Amino acid sequence: MFKRNPQNREHPDWAGKLVLRAAVADEQEIEAASESPFLFTRVRARIAERQRENESGGWQSLPLIAWRAIPAMALVASLAGGLMLWTARPANTENAANTPAVGFGMYEDALTDTTDPGVEQTVLSRNNLSHEDVLNIVIERGEVEKKK
Amino acid sequence: MHPATEPTDDVLVAAAAAGDEAAFEDLFNRHRRQVGRIAGRFFAQREQIEEITQDTFTKLYFALHTYHGTHEASFKAWLAQITVNACYDQLRRVRRRSEQTLGELSENETKDFSTQLRAARSDVEGALISRDLALKLLTRLSAEDRLVLTLLDVEGFSVAEIAEMTNWSISKVKVRAHRARAHLRRIMRKFV
Repeated sequence: MFKRNPQNREHPDWAGKLVLRAAVADEQEIEAASESPFLFTRVRARIAERQRENESGGWQSLPLIAWRAIPAMALVASLAGGLMLWTARPANTENAANTPAVGFGMYEDALTDTTDPGVEQTVLSRNNLSHEDVLNIVIERGEVEKKK
Repeated sequence: MHPATEPTDDVLVAAAAAGDEAAFEDLFNRHRRQVGRIAGRFFAQREQIEEITQDTFTKLYFALHTYHGTHEASFKAWLAQITVNACYDQLRRVRRRSEQTLGELSENETKDFSTQLRAARSDVEGALISRDLALKLLTRLSAEDRLVLTLLDVEGFSVAEIAEMTNWSISKVKVRAHRARAHLRRIMRKFV
């Protein structure tokens, strides 16, 4: 009762194949197209055109390249910043806690050189000279020079 | 089979990929008819066949370095694949352009077509359908349907061969062929 009549399908299928075969180009047309003069020249011209397009595509893709470079540039910048902070960190953390920071990890001592006279202190401690002794030496030297 | 003095396709491809223009021209002259024959299964006009030939050899030129031939027939199979893809692209372009009209037949054309079908049924040997009407009707099919039906029913390729040519899976080709036949059957029922 519900079985399809195969003839109902066969005839449209046969007609469909007929239509498909009728739509095919004839041999003369195919031969004429294949033997068309300057066909290779036109192929060469199209290849050259595509090559030009590909080259100009390089300029057009610059914004895209820049967009892709943003994450890499951000990473490099953050690494450089981190490295700078790390190198500027003082070795003695106790001193660093007492001295106020100036700028990017640059301490005031480094700029004014007031709290840690370094070489000067070493010379004084080696010769057992007090600050008063040093002052007397300087004054005496000044008077000697005046007499001269 | 080429004479012993002539270089094989694989040799010409290698030379053309290395920049030898003459080798590329030899490949073109050797296979232009094969490309034309495949294009002629989908397009009836000379200009369209020439367009497909140009498009195919342009695509071939830029894909030369991807070819790795292993036997005599592999270049031809590869070229057929490129040609079929060029035809498919062109079918899609044509379909987009003709979407508005979509193969509507006038009253006279419908009558003519029905008469032609009746005549063809009574005289199978001399079955003749107007190419213009056939082409107009086939614009109702999608590019995929047209491609798969032409390769199966006109070219006589197997499902596996079509799958290889189109880079579709075998099951996709089968499903597509089934749907395409059903669609074409629905179109034809109006005339038979």
